[in-house]
Parts: sequence; C-alpha cells; structure tokens
Amino acid sequence: MVERLIARAADDARITREQALALYRQAPTLALGRAADAIRARKHPGRIVTYIIDRNVNYTNVCLARCNFCAFYRPVGSAEGYVLGFEEIFRKIDDTVAVGGNQLLLQGGHNPDLPIDWYEDLFRAVKARYPAFRLHALSPPEVLHISRINRIPVPDVIARLVAAGLDSIPGGGAEILVDRVRRLLNCYSKASADEWLDVMRQAHRAGLRSTATMMYGSVETDEERVEHLFRLRDLQDETRGFTAFITWSYQPEHTERGGTEATGVEYLRTLALARLVLDNFDNLQASWVTQGGKVGQLSLAYGANDMGSVMIEENVVRAAGASYCMDEVEIVTNIEDAGFIPKRRNMHYEILGDPIFRERDLPRMLALGTARAEGDASLPEELQRYQARSRAGKQLRLAH
Amino acid sequence: MEMAPALDRLLERVGAGERLSAAEIADLAATPDILALGMMADTVRRRLHGTRVTYLRVAGCAFDASFAECVPPAAREIRIGGAPGTLAVAVAAVRSARAIAGERTVSGFSWPDVEALAARGRTALPDALRELRAAGLDALAEVPIDGVTDLDAVVAVLAETGFERLRLTCAQAPPAERTALLLRAAAAQDRAGGIHVLNPLPTVVTSARPTTGYEDVKAVALARLAAPNIPTIQVDWLRYGPKLAQVALTFGADDLDNVTASDAAPDGHRRAPVQEVRRNIEAAALSPAERDGRFNVI
Ligand code: SF4
Repeated sequence: MVERLIARAADDARITREQALALYRQAPTLALGRAADAIRARKHPGRIVTYIIDRNVNYTNVCLARCNFCAFYRPVGSAEGYVLGFEEIFRKIDDTVAVGGNQLLLQGGHNPDLPIDWYEDLFRAVKARYPAFRLHALSPPEVLHISRINRIPVPDVIARLVAAGLDSIPGGGAEILVDRVRRLLNCYSKASADEWLDVMRQAHRAGLRSTATMMYGSVETDEERVEHLFRLRDLQDETRGFTAFITWSYQPEHTERGGTEATGVEYLRTLALARLVLDNFDNLQASWVTQGGKVGQLSLAYGANDMGSVMIEENVVRAAGASYCMDEVEIVTNIEDAGFIPKRRNMHYEILGDPIFRERDLPRMLALGTARAEGDASLPEELQRYQARSRAGKQLRLAH
Repeated sequence: MEMAPALDRLLERVGAGERLSAAEIADLAATPDILALGMMADTVRRRLHGTRVTYLRVAGCAFDASFAECVPPAAREIRIGGAPGTLAVAVAAVRSARAIAGERTVSGFSWPDVEALAARGRTALPDALRELRAAGLDALAEVPIDGVTDLDAVVAVLAETGFERLRLTCAQAPPAERTALLLRAAAAQDRAGGIHVLNPLPTVVTSARPTTGYEDVKAVALARLAAPNIPTIQVDWLRYGPKLAQVALTFGADDLDNVTASDAAPDGHRRAPVQEVRRNIEAAALSPAERDGRFNVI
C-alpha cells in the first residue's frame, strides 16, 4: 500500500492527511526521497538549484515572548540585551552589497521598547540610502507584536510597513501550527496557529509574498507535523502567496526546554514529506544551517531545489549550538557536485544570474558574522527618539 | 517516477542476487542519481545483514600516552594512535595496551607506518609484523588501499603473520580514483579472502578540500556494490559525525567504527555517545547491535 501511495504522490495526485502520515511512518527513506525528487524534477526541470546572497540580521534580542525552545532571546532588562543602531545596520548592508547581496532578512525579538515608528524610520532610512535593496522582514509574530503594543490592527501595520519599504515577510515563528504544541513551547501567546496564518493571509492580500517554515522535532506528534503542512497547503490554495517552504530541526542546546535534536534521516524524511504534501509550493529550501553542509547538500535529492542563503551572519541557530558556515564558493561547489546548475536568485525566486565570485574577486568567508561583537552593549543614539514602554527600557534611556 | 531504465535494470539484477561487473560499477560512479544507487546498495546490505547495524566502542590512545588513563571500561577495543619512531617503541606500546586490554582487542598503526618501522630498523617486514603480533597486536588500524602498491602481497603477508579479518581503508584518494580502489579490494578478496571490512570514506580529510555529502554516500553505496564479497562496509562515527554516518547506513553501510568509549556525556545536556549511536540507528529504522573487535555481537 505504501508503494502505491509513493507512486501516486510522485505522479502528482494530491495526498490526504492519512496518506501523508502513512508515508512518513512507513515508506523507506530512499523511496520517499525518490518520490519527492520526482516532484522536484517536474517543478524544476532544468536541474537549476538556486540560492540567495543576503544577510540575516537580528535587530534586537530582547523579547517578551520567552519561547522555551529559543536560545537567542534575552528578557527585558537583561544586561545582554541589545538593539542595533541604524548606523550598524547600514554597515551590515554595505558588507552585504560588497559580496553581491541584495537583501536583508531582518528579524528580532519582541522588544516592548521599539514602537512602530522605529521600524518605519529604519525602513525609510534604508530605502533612502539603498533604493534597490530589499527588506525581507518581520515574521508574523513580530507583526502581531507591533500590532499589539501600538494598538493598530494587523492590516494597518502591514500597510504602514509596506509604505515605509517592507518588501516581503519571512515565514519564521511558525514552529508547529497546532495550538497544543504552541502552548507546550510557550509560544501560543506570541501567536496562535490561526493568528500566524492570518497575518500571512493579510500580508498576501496586501500583495506581499512570504515564505513558510516549520520547526519540527520538539514536542509534536507525527500527526501534528502533518497537520502543520496541511494548514500551510490550505492557505496556499487560498492566497498563492508563499514562495517557498523551509523546515529545520529544533536545536536544543542552551534552551530552557533542552532534549535532543532529531537525526539527519528524520530531517530528510520530513523534507521529502513536505515536498509530497506541499504540491502547491514551488520551492523548498535545504537547511544546511541546522543539518550541516553534507546533509544540506543531500537535501537536493530529497525534494529541495534551493540552498537558501549564503549566510553572512547568523545568531539564532548559533545560540542553540549549531554553527555551520558556507560562503558562495562552497554553496556553488556543493550544488555542482550534486549535478545541478547553480543560479543566484532574489526573494521572489527570480533568477539574477550566475555565481558572483566567477564574475569578480570576492573575499572567501570562512566564519559567520554576529549581530554584534561580544560584550558590545552600546546603546544606539537614535533610540532616544523612541518612547520606551518597559520600565527597564525607560531607565536605560534616562541613563544615557 | 521512473528511474532511468538502465538503472532500473541494474536494480532488478542486484535484487536477483547478481554481482555487477567492474565496468558497471565504474559507470554507476558517474550517476548523479544517488537514490537509485542507494537502493541497489541497500538491497545488497539487507541480503547480507538484514536490518542489523553493528557498532564498536573504541578507546583511542596515543602510543606514548598512559593506556591505563585513556581506556574506559566500556571500550571494546584499544586503538593505538600515532606513528612511533622505532619498532621497539611500537612493540612496547602494544605490550602496555595488551596489559590492560584483557579480552579486548588491541589495534594500531597503519600499513605504511609498519613498513617504515621495518625499513628503519632493517627488519624484514614479516618479522616486524610477527613481533607486533606476538606482543599482542590484533589488527592494523588502517590498511589504506591507496597506500599500498601490491594489495595481494599485503593481504598475503598479513595472513601469514597471523592477522585475521583485515580492515581496508581509503586514505585520501579523490572520488575519481576511489572506485578503482574499491574494485581492487573486491578483486583481492576474490583471489585470497581474509578481508572483513571495507571502509570507503577518506581517513585523511583536509579543510581545504572537505568531502561532500553526495561524494560520501556515493562512496559507501559503490563500496557495497563493488564488494558484495566483503562482509562489512564501515563508516567512522567519530570522524564523519552522526548526521552523515546515519545517512550512510541507508546507503549500504552496516557498521559504525570508532564510537567514543567514554560513557560520560561530553557536556551536561548531551547524551552519552552510545545512546546517541543507538538513537541514530533506530531513527533510520535499523537495529543496533554492539560488537567487539573480533566482530562478535555482544
Ligand atoms: S523564538 Fe522569537 S519570539 Fe520566541 S523567544 Fe525567541 S526571539 Fe522571542
């Protein structure tokens, strides 16, 4: 029966929740991979594998949400909390442009002391200085957070941010879109499953494209993992707003929750299953950041058609113990070694061209940057202009 | 979702128990279809071992270190590391390892190291091997196929001097040359037997030219297909790490070498290495079995 299911799935028939579960539990790993690979090949017949050069910037690590799987955040008032200054962000953009990048992936904690005008001013300032540069920013829980602390409805928040320069929305903060799981992970209050999906719905209606993600391997059951994929498939049927799906394993180190990380084979099976269920998604990214370069590359045989981002900076996964780095040369080597043709893309998955390092000399990048040098607790000057809401935030501003 | 028909036919033949020819193996080395390759290798692996995956807990210890200090009780094999300057030093290291090994196996040195020791001491190679064997060495840690000129002669002299169940490795041959090495191993086994393990992933990896995931799983699958006459295809757990080693088990490998013998978790929240190994094997839908250095399941 599993064999028939695999053949059906690979032949483009829509699969049901029950079938997805049976495949995930019973199909041999290589067979699951073959079915996913067949779909990948049909959607991307030219053997092209894409990647993007962008920079993952975390503008603040101060967060009210306190998800118990997160090793990145610092509570409000913590001496290790930071907010990046506009100038710091401009310097990061300069570095990104220097290596051929055209976008920031900008995400951060739910900092109560950054009102919506901070975001608007930042976006406007970026667009004024770098008109062609793209802002892929603020995952749904951040949008909700801005909506809540400023008491502005979500569609209006989105409209204001778009007016200020927001180009697209990253699919972070989805974890598993089942409220039982979200309660256990202490991320229900930052956004329930419906709320996460609704922010995406509003964003898609406003004409923005976004990605979707899944963090598996914490407390969810197989059924809940499948449910997550189906909720994404349903919304995609409705809006067609998702450009890509990215899944990664829960990274347990230094988190409150702890536990062990799901294995590499489980990653490849989950990825392949996603390719079979998400028949209305064009692109699946490989998560070499959590799986390492080798399993990251093997993802290309299990349904992925995109190597994600040439990372210049990464803070969140690193905080949880994993630390892999690939520059453009290495990404391209891995794509070609697997028998694919590497192409640079933008967030909309439009092909921009061949590898940059073949066009001009680029410095090799053998270690990832961080948000800030360790121990740098400086307070950006412009922060004084924005009203803090937390007591700690107010005191900090008075002290400077 | 048809495979290329040629691969399909090969899979059928492998399924029927046929051994692929050297020319077919060489052709397969060029396919980007690693999943088809993996399926063929997995067919052979299941015929030979079912779902069983063995693993060996090894205490690695430099020849000049204190064996008493670096060999935890859970180790099933003591592996002497490094290259001693003289045969006498090597023999002394084997003796001290043997002294605390008890029933456990002692392995160490590579074939080129032993050759160098014999040459330096103007000892005939068989005599040097006999001396190490008599001191208590059970196995050479590495016989790199790409580090010997006449594999048949090496296999013969090792058999003659009392070394059984040989373990062949690849030191640093690039992928383009590796397939030929695997075929050499299979041919040597056909002629003389005595080879128990083929470990196809490079033992010398430089950060300037790391191997890729495709390269690794391909090498494992090709080893399984090229040498169905060699019982075990092995991957080094410590060197290749849990993620790649686990995936390799689905591409034809049936044994994990070099699992850290220490039972203590390396830091507070990680689990002991042996639990990690078992968890990874089980998550690949295979069955873990601990073995000793003589390939007996415990
Ligand atoms: S995952 Fe995001 S929302 Fe949750 S604690 Fe970490 S930074 Fe805050």
